[in-house]
Amino acid sequence: MTDNLKSVIEALIFISVEPLTADRIKEALPDAGEAEIEEALRQLIDDYANGPQAIRVTPSVGGYVFATKPEYDAPVRALLQIERRKKLSAQALETLSAIAYHQPVTQAEIAAIRAVDSSHSLHTLLENKLIKIAGRKEAPGRPLIYRTTDKFLAYFGLNSIDDLPSAEELKKLMEEGNE
Amino acid sequence: MPDERDPIPNPEGSGPAAPEPDRIEERESVGAPPPAAPGVPLTAEDVAGDDDAPAPAAPGEGYQIKLPVFEGPLDLLLFLIKKKKIEIHDIPISVITREYLVYLQDRLLIALDREAEFVLMAAILIYLKSQTLLPREQVADPNVEFRRRSFDHLLPIERIQAAAHLLRGREEEQSQIWTRSTLNAPLPDEDLDLVEVSLFDLAESFFTLMKRKQKENFRLVKGKEISLAEKTKEIVAALKAHGALDFLDFLWEQESLEDALVAFFCLLELIKARIVMAVQEQLFHTIKVWLRKEAPPGEAA
Repeated sequence: MTDNLKSVIEALIFISVEPLTADRIKEALPDAGEAEIEEALRQLIDDYANGPQAIRVTPSVGGYVFATKPEYDAPVRALLQIERRKKLSAQALETLSAIAYHQPVTQAEIAAIRAVDSSHSLHTLLENKLIKIAGRKEAPGRPLIYRTTDKFLAYFGLNSIDDLPSAEELKKLMEEGNE
Repeated sequence: MPDERDPIPNPEGSGPAAPEPDRIEERESVGAPPPAAPGVPLTAEDVAGDDDAPAPAAPGEGYQIKLPVFEGPLDLLLFLIKKKKIEIHDIPISVITREYLVYLQDRLLIALDREAEFVLMAAILIYLKSQTLLPREQVADPNVEFRRRSFDHLLPIERIQAAAHLLRGREEEQSQIWTRSTLNAPLPDEDLDLVEVSLFDLAESFFTLMKRKQKENFRLVKGKEISLAEKTKEIVAALKAHGALDFLDFLWEQESLEDALVAFFCLLELIKARIVMAVQEQLFHTIKVWLRKEAPPGEAA
């Protein structure tokens, strides 16, 4: 049964352009048990990751999607006629991390963390839709507050914001780096 | 400058009191510099090992200050105060200045250079002392305080930078991975997924252009009247000939700023009259203008 279920899920993910969530798989397969589906998904991911295929099943933004393996980057870009993917500037990336770890966050708070003005970076990130304005803070001046978007998760291949290393892990990482 | 009293009251009340007038009377006349008395708390010898110390003046040369805590030339006193070897509170400046004036009065010849130096040093001394006497402004800015408090929960920048470093790695990794959704984005649908632009987009483009044009610094030759009707005809003709126009390029090619302005208004009119359509193929791409009656834009392009 699991083998069959695995193939069914494979088909569902295949036809989905956007990441297919586990919830939608469950909706489509009401007879299958939750644990069964999860087990099948896990196996499917394993099979592709370790198999000879050029593609794999990648968790992304709370769902699953087929993606090419990194070694096929060059031919894919050749096909799409994309020279190189633009990278975020160091400033933008730092601003983005500050937002990711403190969201919802105001510009003043970002400035306090970075000790430099971040308005240009904020603009770039908004333009690239990696962050969004999530309303106003109920504080003096009612400043705008920012959050990261689903595109942010997709951009960094994250399943959810919890995938980011915790503040404690970061601290540990820094200590290791210093040694 | 020399005053009977220390002019500035000590607000803290902690420093030594201003010198009492009677203390001055007690002091012997300083008409002639007395030889440095042994056993005086601090003299030139105490700082002999200090390289920065001013060379001790030869005895008898220049004016010597004589105070309970210090005896010697003024430059040495200043040096010691700056080095914090002598507490400035213990130096009664009014005594120094008054005795100095007495000394000057008794002199027949005045070496201006040396005395000017003394006045300068005395001024510095007064300045230093006044600084210690004045209350310090230490009222904390409530806003700064509030800010510091409300930002206490924020992570230190080092951790954010570590996170940014990690994200950079993921970005690198992800940039080599392609999903089918990326395939759809750059390739337009059959009908071209066009974004009809708003007046604001048009205006923004126009102002960017104006700014660029301004830098050209061409001379204005007046006299040529540009009519809206003619310009409109010109635009429609160009649209019919080319099918589509690049909004920015078209305005850029105008002879003068006035031409560009008129062309811009004509375009707005044409858009308003729904004769032409201004579209963007993608966000942040250039704006194109099409005649509405034309065949599907896909072919025109």
